[in-house]
Amino acid sequence: MWAIVKKEFKSYFLSPIGYIYIGVFLLTCSIFFYLDIFVKLSTDFPYMFRSAVTILTFIVPLITMRMFSEERKNGTEQLLLTSPRSITQVVLGKFIAAALVVLVSVLLTLIYFGILSYFGEPQLSKSLIAILGFALLSIAYVSFGMFASSLTENQVVSAVITIAVFVLLWFLPSFSSIFIDFSLMEAFFESFYLGTISIKNLVLLVSFTALFVVFTIMVLQRRKSVK
Amino acid sequence: MIEVKHVTKKYGNFIAVDDINFTINNDEVVGFLGPNGAGKSTTMNMITGYIEPTNGKIIVNDYDVSKDPKKVKRQIGYMPESTPLYNDLTVREFVNYMADLKYVKRKEKKEKVDKVLQDVGLTSVQKKLIRNLSRGYKQRVSMAGALIGDPKVLILDEPTVGLDPKQITEIRDLIRKLGKNHTVILSSHILSEVSQICERVIIINKGKVLAVDTPSNLEEKFEDENRIFVTVEDEQNKINKIAKKIKNLKSIEFIKDKNDGTKQYELVANKSTDLRKEIFNLFPKNDINILELKKSEITLEDAFLKLISQKETEAEEKKKKEEEKKAKREEELNKMSKKDRKEAIKQDKKDIKQKEKEEFNKHWEENRKREKEEKERIKEVKKKIKKGGKK
Repeated sequence: MWAIVKKEFKSYFLSPIGYIYIGVFLLTCSIFFYLDIFVKLSTDFPYMFRSAVTILTFIVPLITMRMFSEERKNGTEQLLLTSPRSITQVVLGKFIAAALVVLVSVLLTLIYFGILSYFGEPQLSKSLIAILGFALLSIAYVSFGMFASSLTENQVVSAVITIAVFVLLWFLPSFSSIFIDFSLMEAFFESFYLGTISIKNLVLLVSFTALFVVFTIMVLQRRKSVK
Repeated sequence: MIEVKHVTKKYGNFIAVDDINFTINNDEVVGFLGPNGAGKSTTMNMITGYIEPTNGKIIVNDYDVSKDPKKVKRQIGYMPESTPLYNDLTVREFVNYMADLKYVKRKEKKEKVDKVLQDVGLTSVQKKLIRNLSRGYKQRVSMAGALIGDPKVLILDEPTVGLDPKQITEIRDLIRKLGKNHTVILSSHILSEVSQICERVIIINKGKVLAVDTPSNLEEKFEDENRIFVTVEDEQNKINKIAKKIKNLKSIEFIKDKNDGTKQYELVANKSTDLRKEIFNLFPKNDINILELKKSEITLEDAFLKLISQKETEAEEKKKKEEEKKAKREEELNKMSKKDRKEAIKQDKKDIKQKEKEEFNKHWEENRKREKEEKERIKEVKKKIKKGGKK
């Protein structure tokens, strides 16, 4: 599995996608950091993520859209699936690699914490919990993006599916309160954003991630007999 | 050893591979031969475990592909059709990655990768990006990916497509070399290639195995006439008259005038008679000078084409007969009164259903029988192992 993680992680940075993802993420984070914290002379670090969460909807598909679609289109999928690695290993390997790219970008937000603590005294524990929550949220998004990518060999289609579902998850709670309990973004805002860890929301994020990893494995296994 | 038993692959109503059976022994080079869309690649993909067969069993060195895929895949090196590669890696990185995927030990990795690169002649371009390689080199990279990890079985899907003549001979030599201690399956629609490299040929068309034999046997099987080409200097144009004196001659045909006073003819006789001696005796006596005398040999190509057209005409005839039967029956029905016709149609439908049922039952029983046999075989093997253990 680690061989796949290593290669996948590396190939994010052999193509410009890894850099673009981290670059765009940090750019928008900088804008929100300036507008939400610097201008308002606040020391509330998690405040930065309030707007940054929305940008995930549009940049996570950047790294997930190619995960399986590209391999399928180029036929390299054949190399992976005829090697003595199980489908579970392949899926987990790819998932971990993409999650690592996201984690790197999230950990880079510590820079802003550094800047903030130079000028004021932000709360460390609260900030770390917010970062943890944000990381969990983005990894959950990656998991769904991977699932969408396993469905089609067209990268654009997989990106559009991903964005559409994320937008739905984003706005459904505004239509009916029934959806609040299922919304990933709400899960982040309800607890991690406020500096608390709630088991309910932690379980929601982690189980959402696990669910779509399992779904991806199932899709690939099923395709073996349909293909 | 690779055993393919009653394997069928269906896509909806389309049958890509239809109940094929064959066995491939260890250290044997076998060629899959067939026109496009015959089911070569599908069969190969099923052996490698990339596709699951709808029906049937594939056993590679005692492991069932669908039950023990990991153990089977460890023994197989697969070079897919159209050479899919990771374009953003260098040659060496790619082979390294394939080695990692195939559980090559870290200590041996460098040495093994070096050896494979040398075997396929890639050492000079190992640091180049795969994207920038020419088609021939890409093919070799794909081959290197299949070879790394010392698999016992090599499955090569059209390994020489798109190469220049020099590269083709190089790859062929490599395959021949590998065939000495590997089981190799390769597919191709270039017949001369198959007859050169392979010890046995499996001819497939429309998902069915038409023949499994050595190339020379196949050629012999389809040699039904003895053809001889002669180029003669025949100023008085007597050849037709004289040729009639030859016993057993079926026909003589003028092929071309070479415009230098010589003409070429084709003489045909039965399979068992060789005309050459008689021609050589008879012609000079009658002032016909023989400049060239050649026996034409049927090639694998002819055998292949014949086999395919034969089976196809058989199938067509069968279809025609069925259609005729149907038309006849319809005519009969039209002659009947309305009431009778209704009943007759009902009866027909019943008959068809009955037939389908019988066929299904037959198939079912066959399957059960096969499974039983398999179970008994496994039991016996286990018993033997136990006995051996006790001793």
